[in-house]
Amino acid sequence: MRPEHPLADVERSLAVPPRRRLDLLEEVDADAEALQAELERRGYGPAQARRAALRHVVPGTESLAQLEAQHAPPLGRWARGTGWIDRVERFGIVVATSLAGAVACVTILGTGALGSAAVLAWPQVIVVALLAANWTRAAKRLWIDGDLRPELRRRLWERQIGLIVLAVALGALGAAREVYGAFGALEAEAFAPPAMWDAVGRIVSFAALGLSAAIFGLFGWLAITPRLIDDETMEHRISAFFASRLPHTSSTRR
Amino acid sequence: MQATLSKRINELLVLAVLERGPAHGYQIALSVEERTGGAFSLQHGTLYPILHRLETNGHVRGQWGGEGRRRKTYELTDGGRAELAAGAAQLERQFRVLLELFGGTHAA
Repeated sequence: MRPEHPLADVERSLAVPPRRRLDLLEEVDADAEALQAELERRGYGPAQARRAALRHVVPGTESLAQLEAQHAPPLGRWARGTGWIDRVERFGIVVATSLAGAVACVTILGTGALGSAAVLAWPQVIVVALLAANWTRAAKRLWIDGDLRPELRRRLWERQIGLIVLAVALGALGAAREVYGAFGALEAEAFAPPAMWDAVGRIVSFAALGLSAAIFGLFGWLAITPRLIDDETMEHRISAFFASRLPHTSSTRR
Repeated sequence: MQATLSKRINELLVLAVLERGPAHGYQIALSVEERTGGAFSLQHGTLYPILHRLETNGHVRGQWGGEGRRRKTYELTDGGRAELAAGAAQLERQFRVLLELFGGTHAA
């Protein structure tokens, strides 16, 4: 098995934006190599020099914590400074719940969700809340922690797409159900004009809610896409860095 | 207090090393150890949070360079020079007070 690079552990545990992570890896690695060469010049054996060099420059737990605090995004630094960092998740949940509450009110007014349409209207409200929560989680990782790793990013994106499809499907299903009900009433000739306008309102509400959820989900993700693309480029460069840097001598951290 | 003082001393040590001229991180770490006769040592990457903090505060300037691969060199800024002078004077005052206190304790 190929020995792991001594900085691989640092890369895994350092929760800062990928650009900062790459800068630090390159800086530390160049210093470790130069220090090893210097120590070898002073009579150390290669393995001994490598160990001493790594002991000097590879950040330990305390240094990593300090670097994370220093290189967190401005919003993250502010949140850490004010002690809000632990409350951000809860704040996100409150925002998502409030949004779902607002959507629920609109749904009740638009579709009469307390009545027969409840079966499809309430799942729509839950989907909107889940979309908001999913987006909040991604945004928190990017702008508060500064570190959204590819694996989690992929999972969040898949969830976002799934929820968007679900929102559209529920909207379409709700609208279709209302159309079916309206046609049934027409055939029974029990459809007075005011009832017809009610039915149209419910159809439009279902479709609009599904579409709005989809637009919110897509545009929300689009808003963070430039940063995601930049991060992905940096992640590729980090992978390339490790691929090009074979360890000179197998060594453990600290 | 101990952690703050030690952090401050480490910062001033880095500034003092850079006063002699620009240096890479590893050269700074080696110089600190050599110039203090091993009394101070920046191990386990403690150097980087110090350097990055000094850089953020404008006391040192980091510059990427190198042929083939990127390497970072640090140099002292005018602000860093002023910070070193002010910090050294403050430390001198603090240590004088402490030494007088300890001297008094010994005498008693």
